[in-house]
Amino acid sequence: MSNGMPPSRDDAPPGHPRGRTWNRAGDDPDPSVPALEVDDLTVAYREQPVLWDVDLRIRQGSATAIVGPNGAGKTTLIRSILGLVPRAAGRVRILGSPLEDVRRQVAYVPQRGSVDWDFPTSVEDVVLMGTYGHLGWFRRPGKREREAARRALERVEMAAFAHRQISELSGGQQQRVFLARALVQEARVHFLDEPFQGVDARTERSIMDVLHELRDRGDTVIAVHHSLQTVPEYFDGVVLLNVRLIAAGPVDAVFTDENLRTAYGGRIPYRSPTSPTSPPPPGASPAAGPPPPLEG
Amino acid sequence: MDGGFLPALFTDHTLRVVGLGAGAVGALAGSLGCFALLRRQSLLGDAVSHAALPGIALAFLLTGSRATPVLVLGAALTGWLGTLFVMAVVRHSRIPEDSALGILLSVFFGVGLVLLTFLQRGPTAAQAGLDTFLFGQAATLLVQDVILVLSLGGVALLLLALSWKEVKLLAFDREFGRVQGIPMGRVDLLLTSLLVVAIVLGLQTVGVVLMSALVVAPAAAARQWTDSLGRMVILAGALGAGAGVGGAWMSTLGDGIPTGPAIVLLASGVVAVSILAAPRRGVLWDRIRRRRVRARLAAGGGTPGMPSEAPGERERLGGGD
Amino acid sequence: MPLHVEIQLLAVVVAAACALPGVFLVLRRVALISDAISHSVLLGIVLAFFWVRDLTHPALILGATATGILTVALVEALHRSGRVKEDAAIALVFPALFSLAVLLIARYAGQIHLDVHSVLLGEIALSPFRRWEVGGVDLGPRSLWMMGGILILNAGALLLLWKELKVSTFDPALAASLGFSPVVLHYAFMTLVSVTAVGAFDAVGSILVVALMIAPPATAWLLTDRLSVMVGLSVALAVAAAVTGFWAAWLLDVSIAGSMAAMTGVGFVLAFILAPDRGVLASLRRRARQRVEFSGMLLAVHLLHHEGTADESVETRVDHLQKHLRWSPDFARRVIDRAERVGWVRREGRERLRLTPLGRETAKVGMIR
Repeated sequence: MSNGMPPSRDDAPPGHPRGRTWNRAGDDPDPSVPALEVDDLTVAYREQPVLWDVDLRIRQGSATAIVGPNGAGKTTLIRSILGLVPRAAGRVRILGSPLEDVRRQVAYVPQRGSVDWDFPTSVEDVVLMGTYGHLGWFRRPGKREREAARRALERVEMAAFAHRQISELSGGQQQRVFLARALVQEARVHFLDEPFQGVDARTERSIMDVLHELRDRGDTVIAVHHSLQTVPEYFDGVVLLNVRLIAAGPVDAVFTDENLRTAYGGRIPYRSPTSPTSPPPPGASPAAGPPPPLEG
Repeated sequence: MDGGFLPALFTDHTLRVVGLGAGAVGALAGSLGCFALLRRQSLLGDAVSHAALPGIALAFLLTGSRATPVLVLGAALTGWLGTLFVMAVVRHSRIPEDSALGILLSVFFGVGLVLLTFLQRGPTAAQAGLDTFLFGQAATLLVQDVILVLSLGGVALLLLALSWKEVKLLAFDREFGRVQGIPMGRVDLLLTSLLVVAIVLGLQTVGVVLMSALVVAPAAAARQWTDSLGRMVILAGALGAGAGVGGAWMSTLGDGIPTGPAIVLLASGVVAVSILAAPRRGVLWDRIRRRRVRARLAAGGGTPGMPSEAPGERERLGGGD
Repeated sequence: MPLHVEIQLLAVVVAAACALPGVFLVLRRVALISDAISHSVLLGIVLAFFWVRDLTHPALILGATATGILTVALVEALHRSGRVKEDAAIALVFPALFSLAVLLIARYAGQIHLDVHSVLLGEIALSPFRRWEVGGVDLGPRSLWMMGGILILNAGALLLLWKELKVSTFDPALAASLGFSPVVLHYAFMTLVSVTAVGAFDAVGSILVVALMIAPPATAWLLTDRLSVMVGLSVALAVAAAVTGFWAAWLLDVSIAGSMAAMTGVGFVLAFILAPDRGVLASLRRRARQRVEFSGMLLAVHLLHHEGTADESVETRVDHLQKHLRWSPDFARRVIDRAERVGWVRREGRERLRLTPLGRETAKVGMIR
């Protein structure tokens, strides 16, 4: 699946949303520009730091997991990058530009629980919401948008549900609908918040297939993820976070004993598939050692 | 209609005016109320309508005019100030929203009563009838009032239709809209303003005490009958209009029957029927379905597990990690 | 007793009786259920009146309290049915019950000596004229006795259930594990609220009851963190609003109940702006100070992160800080000055900053908090 295929946009199979309905090929960014640059990002609630001075570079065409213990600020990191949480300090660039200039290139899959699924609307309607950004005020989604929504739903195997009321969906189906809504945005950088929360194994695999496909086309996928075990299989890179950035980079470089212990304290919910690590000493406390090296 | 019960005062012309006015008020409040209901702001309407009372009294005190546009402007102003007050209190203190709403509605209402009693000892008799704003009296509607309701209400509904997808996104997933660069703050401002307009236009007919019910009840009833937001808004508008016309008519039957309670009772009846009997969502259908399942199980015909359901249902049971 | 003293006494007792359960309404975030109860008790009064045909009969209080509890139960049933959310359930139930009561009053106006005005305003100015006489001896205003009884009931119930109410308000899970039945406690509390609303209804009307129940406790919550202090303060604030409200109304010749409600609002707004610790002014001042302190810490953490890295020479420049950390030149100077003063950083040349050992320790501790 992840065979390092060079990004190419013109050979997209028919029926794939990368058929580019509104984000034309002329918008293609220089592939050497990082998908995401975060400098000195600090976020605080009521003057209590939630994220401390985070520096981060993520290259285009990669799939990156954001992991860390509960309360580490994973969701806050994504939300502050997307301008949903005010930053106390720091600078964010997406595809080399401030968010305001590249909104059309950014897709967002929020946590499933963030909306009321009893809202009176259909699956197709929810997916169409992904087209509102490029439509502008007053204009309604038309034939083109409906066609794009249909393709996106097919992509997540939900086409048969297009006219279902959203309260009738299972957790996994809800997540697929949210993913389709992001696909229809035809973005280059995709942010997902806990996309596997409460979904069945089959859905998890098919969501991951879609994400890999996006990545293989040169898109960038950045997801908050909670299972360390599946990180090496699903993602190329990983960001290990616990209020501050512990480490970022390729999975095997980041998932060292020391880094994990720094992030999680004594209980590391991860066992390396290659070198079985010895269990950490009970009661090991987070080390206040020197700051770990950052990714360049 | 049975002319025998109608006082001679109510010519057909008056009834038409009153019916049209109350129907328009109901349609406006009902359709905009859908968004208040879906955004869990049902009680904001209550607070706004109470907060409008001092605005009505102040408008009269300052201008000496009882013309509806003047009073509506005053009502809208204090209604707006009231929402700002609630937002400020929730943002800048530990006081939760429900307490802030409670303080807003009761304190503003108290101030309104102080002003009304202040006016009532004034030398002129012009203030007489201001207290019809408490429970509403559709019979006091004039042709100009109805024209005002129809024109302002029409503009409000037009704006709603033009901003339909933004407003829908605001109600369903505000942050997703923000990430796409849609100015959700401005959409919120627009929708809240439209709701304030709908409420203050209804005050003369329904009264400040019960206006919020005309915002919530038609929407809650309509929600039970449809899963489409568009149909829900149209149906709530129709139900609101029906309750408005019916209540206004009822209030012309008997001496001194205020319009507000009549309208609210009609609308509440519709809600009760809808929650009990609407197809699919109705509570009664739930009962019947459950009884059938139990009967089938008792007869030994069904499988011991679940009766066959939609595929989604099965996945929900098997899903999760 | 002179008339105005009796009215004030009644106002004070009503205010105190409302403030006591109000504290828990505010803390349990069910403030608006008081709005619902105070409206729907009217239906109970009207229906009970049809039965006993006497506006002074105690059955009216029973009937009204029962409708108050019925309201709570209806709201919960509607909410639990899953068809509407809780706020909508409240907004649906009480207008219906209240409308029915108002229509019944309007329909049978000749038989009930209640009119829509007294429903909303109460008749505190008239209540001293309804005396309680036993064997020809005048014992004072009837409603003063009733509200006095309700005040004692509320105070007694609060003392008796203090621990249970406190625990279930602040830690419902703990309360359940200690074996308090949340349902029983909830309904016992709502019965208190209903009885209080019925009693106060007569004096101040259905909407202003809400002001007396919610505004003084909310004001007190801005002034203290301790529950017992909050209860005392709420009563004191309610009493103060009652007395000042009475005199304002007396001087201006306006509605006494409306004036009392307005005064509870004045108290709340004053506390909201001026409260020593939680007021808007105090927290703005504190926020500004914390921002400088926090930014100093941020500066230390930032310098620590880039110590010994390739980009250190860039990242420690003063003008870079302004750009990357999005600080204004003026704000950056204040932060750096303070960090220098407390000995976290020192300047190297004019444009470079370096951590002191103390600053390094501080940054390390700050990061892992």
